[in-house]
Order: sequence, then C-alpha cells, then structure tokens
Amino acid sequence: MADDSETITTLLETALVARGYEVTVARNGPDTYEKGKTEKLDLVILDHLMPGLLGLEIIEKWRAEGIETPVIVLSGVDDDRTVVQSLEIGAVDFVRKPFRLNELMARIKQRISG
Amino acid sequence: MSGIEFLRITVLVVFSLNGLLALTLIVWKALHRRRQKGYERRRVAYLTLLSRHLADPDEDLEMSPMVAEDQAFLDALIDIRTSVTGAESDALAEVIGSYGVMDRYARRLGSRHFRIRRLRAAVALAEVADSSRAGVLMKALDDHDPEVRIQAARGLGRMKWTPAIDKIVDRFSIETPWVRARFSDTLIGFGQKATWPLVAYVKVNHRFETAGPTAAIRTLGTIGDQDAARPMVEVLEQAFHLEIQLPTIETLGVLGAPIAVPHLEALMDAEDWRLRAKAAGALGDIRDVSAVDRLALGLTDRNWWVRRNSAAALGKIPGGVRLLYHAISSADPFARDAAAEALYDAGELIAARRRVDQGEATPNDLALIRLIAQEEVLAS
Amino acid sequence: MILEAFKWIGYAAIAYFVVMQLYLVLLAVVSGFALRNTYHLGRFGRVTEMLSSKTSPPISIIIPAYNEAIGIVDSVRSMSIVSYPRFEIVIANDGSTDDTLKRLIEEFDLEHVRIPYRPDIATATVRAIYRGHNAVDITVIDKENGGRADALNAGINAARYPYVLCTDADVVLDADALVRGMQRIVADRERTVGVGGNIRPLNGSEVELGHLVNASVPGRLVARMQVLEYLRTFLASRPAWSAMHALPLVSGAFGIWRRSAVLAIGGYKAGHLGEDLDLTMRMHRYHRSNDIPYQIVYEPSAVLWTEVPDSFRVLRRQRIRWHRGLMTSIRDFLPMTFNPRYGALGMVTWAGFFLFEYLAPMIEFIGWFIVPTAFFVGALNTETLVLMLLLAFGAGLLNSLASLWLDEPYGYFNDPKSTSRLIIMALIENLGFRQITVVWRIRAIFGGRGVRGWGNMERRGVANLATDS
Repeated sequence: MADDSETITTLLETALVARGYEVTVARNGPDTYEKGKTEKLDLVILDHLMPGLLGLEIIEKWRAEGIETPVIVLSGVDDDRTVVQSLEIGAVDFVRKPFRLNELMARIKQRISG
Repeated sequence: MSGIEFLRITVLVVFSLNGLLALTLIVWKALHRRRQKGYERRRVAYLTLLSRHLADPDEDLEMSPMVAEDQAFLDALIDIRTSVTGAESDALAEVIGSYGVMDRYARRLGSRHFRIRRLRAAVALAEVADSSRAGVLMKALDDHDPEVRIQAARGLGRMKWTPAIDKIVDRFSIETPWVRARFSDTLIGFGQKATWPLVAYVKVNHRFETAGPTAAIRTLGTIGDQDAARPMVEVLEQAFHLEIQLPTIETLGVLGAPIAVPHLEALMDAEDWRLRAKAAGALGDIRDVSAVDRLALGLTDRNWWVRRNSAAALGKIPGGVRLLYHAISSADPFARDAAAEALYDAGELIAARRRVDQGEATPNDLALIRLIAQEEVLAS
Repeated sequence: MILEAFKWIGYAAIAYFVVMQLYLVLLAVVSGFALRNTYHLGRFGRVTEMLSSKTSPPISIIIPAYNEAIGIVDSVRSMSIVSYPRFEIVIANDGSTDDTLKRLIEEFDLEHVRIPYRPDIATATVRAIYRGHNAVDITVIDKENGGRADALNAGINAARYPYVLCTDADVVLDADALVRGMQRIVADRERTVGVGGNIRPLNGSEVELGHLVNASVPGRLVARMQVLEYLRTFLASRPAWSAMHALPLVSGAFGIWRRSAVLAIGGYKAGHLGEDLDLTMRMHRYHRSNDIPYQIVYEPSAVLWTEVPDSFRVLRRQRIRWHRGLMTSIRDFLPMTFNPRYGALGMVTWAGFFLFEYLAPMIEFIGWFIVPTAFFVGALNTETLVLMLLLAFGAGLLNSLASLWLDEPYGYFNDPKSTSRLIIMALIENLGFRQITVVWRIRAIFGGRGVRGWGNMERRGVANLATDS
C-alpha cells in the first residue's frame, strides 16, 4: 500500500487488515520501490503522485528488473493519458480517487486470487 | 510630565511588553506543542475508528456527540469523505448523524455563535450531507457570512437537493466572484438538473450584466449538457458584448456541439481578432470535420493568435493533420511553427522520429524533422 | 552654539531610529489584524475545493535556471506533483555551462520541438525549445545567457496560460502554496494582477525528496539572523502593506502574475539588480497612471522555502546587490515618494522605503561617529541618551517578538527551544549583525565588486541541506 496521504494509508490498511490481509505501507516513491524489490508482495496498491518517484516510474523500474508483482494504480490524476499509460506499462488496474471502498476491495480480492 | 519622565515611562512600558511577549511566547509554544500532539493523536484515532467502521459496517461505532466540538474529528471526517465515495461513505454519514453529532452542528448554525464555530458547523453539515438537514442549509444560503453560504450550497449539492438550484442561481448576480465560483462548483455537481435554471438566468440577464452571466455560461460548459447548446447559440446571436460572446463561444466548444459549427465558422470572419481566435479554438474542440477548410484559411489570418489556434484546432480534427503538413512549407514562419507545434501535440512528431529510426520515414516526416532541426534564429 | 548643533544632531540621529522602529511596530499591529482575517478562513476546506474545482484558472510555472545541474531534476520533479488541477512548467535554461539541459532532457523524456514562440518581450537569443508531458507539461527554453530577468522574460513569452508563477530552481514549494496563491486570484479575478508569497529560509530544516519534513531554526547564526529578518518582513510588514493596497514587492522567488499585465509593462528589466522590486513598482505605476482598477496582494499562507546565504561572504554579496537594486528603484520611482496621488503606496510604503531603507545606512553610519562625539563634548544628557538608545533597541526587539507571535498560528518552530533561540537571536542581533549589514550597504553606495549577474550562491542542492546545522 503506497500513498503519501496518511488518510488513504490508514483507511486502506484498516480495511485490508479487517479482511485478513497482511499490509506493508510505504509513504514515498523510493521507499515503495525498495519494498517492491525486497519484499514478497502479492499485490501493490500504488498512488501515482508521490514524492521522489512517480508511481508509473516505479512500475517501469520494477518491470525492467523482472519484478512482476501485480499493481493497482489508485490515483486522483484523472486524465486518459495517465490511465492508458499505466495499463500499458504493466499495471493490472486503475482506480480513480475518490474511490468506492467496497469496489476497490472486490478488485483487490479478484487480483490476488486470480 | 517632562520629556525625560515621559521617556522613562515609555522605555519601561516597551521593555515590560517585551518581557511579556517573550515569556508568553515560550509558554504558549510549549502548550501548543502538547495541544498539537493531542490533536494529531485524536485525528489519527478518529481516522482509524471511521476506517474500521467503513471496512466493517456491522461493527459498532462508539462515539459521543461531543466529538462535534473537536476540530480533529471534523478534519478526519473531511479527509475520509474526500478520499472515499459511494454507498459505504454515505452510510458512514448516517451513522455519525445518528449519534446526535449533526444536531449539535445544526443548532449552532442557527444561532449567533462565534464565526469560527458557525463555519465549522456549516462545513460539517456540508461534509455529512444528510438530506434531513436540507432545511437548515437552505436557510443558511441567506446567511450574512459568505463562507457559510458557500458551505450551505456545497452541502445541498452533495445531497443533490434540487430545490436549491434555483435559489443558488438566483444569487449569481449579487454574489462576489469567490462565492460565485464556489456556487458554480456546486451547480456543476448537480449536473444536468442545473442546465435549464442556468440557461434561463443567462437569457434573462446577459443583456444587462456580464459577471454573473459569464460565470453561468462557463458553468454550463463544464456541466456538459448538450441541451444547452441551442440556447447558447441563440445567446451568441443576440449578444453584442464581447464579454458575453467570448465565454459563449468557449462553452460551445467545450460542449462539443456540432450545431454551433456554422455560427463559429461565420465568426471566423469577424472584425475583432478575439472572436476569430476563440472561434478557431472552439472549432478544434468540437472536432467537426466540416470545419477543416475554414480553419486552413485561418492559418493565413492576419492575427497570430488566430493562426495559432487554427493550427491547434487542425491538430485535433481528423483530416486536419494533412493540412498541417502542408502548412509546414508555408511562407509564413509563424504558421510553420504553429503547425509544427500542433503536430507535436497530436503525437505526430514522436511518431515521425520513431519511423525515421525504423527506416520507414515518409516525406512528410522528413519535412517536419528538417523544419525543427533548422538553426533558425527565432525571430524578434 | 556648536554644542547646540551637536545636541540636536545627536538626538535627531537616535530619534530617527526610534521613529523607524515605531513605524515598524505600527505596521506589525496592522499586519496582526490583516492576518487574523485571512488565517481562519484558510482552515475551512477552501484549498480542497479549489483543487477539485474545474473552474480553477490554469497557470504556468516559470523557472529560470543557470547552472542548476545538481538540483534541477529534483526541483522540477517536486514541482510537477504540486497540488493544482491544471498547470505547466516552463524552464528557461539561461545558457548554462554545465549539463542542466542534458539532465532535463534525459530525465523528462523531452523532445526537441518547434513552437510559434513569440518574443513579446525581447530577450537574448533562444536557441531551441523542448517539450515533454510525463506527469505535467514541461517546456524548456534553451537560450543564451542574459541573466535572471531575461530568462524569466523568455519563459513568460513561451507560457501558454493566462497566469504565471515566477520562481527559482532549488526552492521547496509548500504542497498547497500554489492553490493558496491562486485562491487570491479567484477571489477577485478581475482586479488581482499579482500575488506575492511568503518566503522562509530553508537552512537547517529537514528536506526529503524535495519536500519539507520539519522546520528547524538554523544552527549557524548568520542564517538564524536571516530567519528573524524574513519573519519581520513577511509577517509584520507585508500583510499591512497588502491590506493598504501598497505592497511594494512581490518576491522574485514566488510571484504569481497575470501574464497579460506583465507583457503590458514590458516584462522584467534585464540587468536590473532588483528586478522583482522593479517589476512590482512598475505594475503599480502602469495601472495607476492608466486608471485601471487593480490590486497586488500578499498571501501569507503561500509558503516557499529557499536556501539563504549561510556565510558572511555570500550574504555580503547578496546584500550589496539588494541595496544597489533598491537604490536604482528609489531613483526610478522618486516621483512616487510622498506623493498623495499614489495613496498609501506613495505616502506610507515608498516613503518608508526611502526614509528607512535608503537613508538608513547613511544616517546610521554617520550616527556612529556623531553620537559618541556629541556625548563626549557634553552636548548630550547621559540619561536621555541612554533612554533613547534603550527605546530604539526595545522597539526593535518589540518588532522581532511581535513577528514571532504573528508567526505562531502557522505552526512552525513549535517547541520552546527553537523559540528561545530566536528570542536570544533578537537580543544579540544588535551586537554586530545589524552593524555589518550597514557597512555593506554603505559599500554598495560606492559600488560593489562582482555583484552583477545571478549573485549565484554555491548551490549545494536542496537534498544536501539537512547536513547543515
């Protein structure tokens, strides 16, 4: 779970833990990138606009190093270009902020089991 | 009192004041720091509490109405409501309401409390947007405090309380630009339901004033309801103020209304360059293929804004790109550059460079790349 | 008879300083009221509303860059994620001799393009233009060296939006600085042509990835003195001036301007040492002479952090440059001084600049000789002398403390230790720091060496600042 907004990380961490998932939180670009490299993750929920490294750049770097962890981009950036770019780069899904919690949870469940 | 006595007293006063300021500053900072930490702790606690309830609505929310007094609670609530939308979020609002928190806020809004508290109450009611409070907020639209009015409108918008639309639109003429801008946001939130009240307002008022109708016209564009296109065309025909015509043209572009195309093409022959330039821009936004020829003519307009907008417009319309490639070899350096810019924005430049790399360059690609590589001193 | 003369001159010299400090105290009081008004409103969701509004006006961020290879990428990256619905970044590479341009092109995937660049303001030759749109639209103007003002002008020429934010590379913008600045524009779009921001020294504070983590009081006294100075002007003077429609200076590090207005007055003056002061005053003059309703305001919550000189050597160069710029402006705008036609701007602010900024170093310097002499020849009453000196010192201290109080609601330096450090600094300021700046300014009057151009400080990059304490 990577986002520089404390509200989002608290919210999603709470919700995910309540549903039985194990959550690692990162609050900035480089930290997210590192955790993606070193930890065994089943899924990453990634904000695009983060200090240090942008979400999409992180995905690019991971894919270039053979890290194939599925990524759901969760972002307030609304324009089509970013959505298309993220899917092209290798994200499996794109959810806009503000988001519907149950919907996001359903997508997460599907990506992890699928 | 002699001069020197006066001097003595003044010095004494100044230094006592200094001592007082210094001391209280240090004490205040110490207290404030503690208060700040407490606020943060409580805010995170509320955040976690509300998150838990969102995640599992069956879990009981343990909260006292006293949280209404706490700015930390309000901030946590606002944070969550701006991040999460949908049914669960609304359910959250209801649950909070059931604890009587909202009653406190509603009462406070009706009274003559300190401004900050009233404002906080208005914000809270707007955030939670519980339609049972609509009456309170409707009344608050007439509040003497502009910020309260803004929050009232916002709240009514969030709860989609349509009777508020007329009242908000009615206030367009008398509000300040700031309030009007925020009212616009609310009306945009109402979506198509706001179209006809806004149209009616514009038709009645555009001959007598500009500020309110201009804001209304722009709002109609952002709402994006095609039904507004025909009335806007009528306004365009009737208006003779540039200040009304320009936003109307812009809005017709934003709406993407094909019925406007003939009128916009006609405007490209207008005397005033601003009308021509805006019309070119709008034609680009509408993306109607029939406008391509007129826009190609716009590339040779005597005003450079018109030429630039025409080029940009051609870049957006299917079939326009062809004409832009023609313009690259135009005698007019400005048109050439405008065409080059439009081609880049349309993604043609990057595609051309890629084709060159792969050895599949077309003559157009080479012409474009050659143009850009020219070491031409950009004219002064 | 000579004794009489000495007496009056001696007392007059000190009285001058008393009056100066009292003028500042008065400004502080007015600022207090002005700030109270704006502060509370800032807390109630205005920022979020503007951020999600589709009606917020778009803005071009203009960054002049000269030899900024160390920090330019980080700087642009952190600006590209600033919270604002629609904006672009225009960087004017002012003939850098390092690889500023190369780094920009590589990091942001820029393409060499051609745009109908119109030099509405004449600048040094533009060599090439690059564009890219990763997170945000970026345009780089590669031009020949012409100085900061010239670079800004080129950037403004190329800007696409109706508003421009003129700033610097290697600064740290507060996340909501741009929204808060633009909010003043939206509040009165017809009239507002300029918005000035609040500059705070970055030295000693923790910066991570281009964002401020924690504001601390700098360790070095040179920097600490400047913290006080900046607080005094940005919290105790500018709000008052802004409220009186008499803001003389929109700082070059954070100035939002209506683009058409900048073009109307011919942009920044190249080669001017105080180009931001000059631009602001010309804006005033242009609108007033042409009877155009306008306002230039100051927004205290639009905060920008920048590295201030932390050595006497660099500070000296900066202050000499500033004073020379001031001198030029005082000359250029002399007709405004004490001119009622210019309202509070002429009668209060510019008169204040003339009396208390321009004349001050000279009077103070002369005072250093006259007052002791007068005292030793017995022209001055000891008690009166002491009391007056105390009064001047006390009023100055009052200004500093008032500034610290005015800063309180913004939540920086939130512990007693930082506050005490600043209070102590206020006490010892007069034991040499102030006096040195006076000497430098006298030096400026007689021509300073090597103060043209950018007055570049050794750029250490924002990332390295945390190690300085």
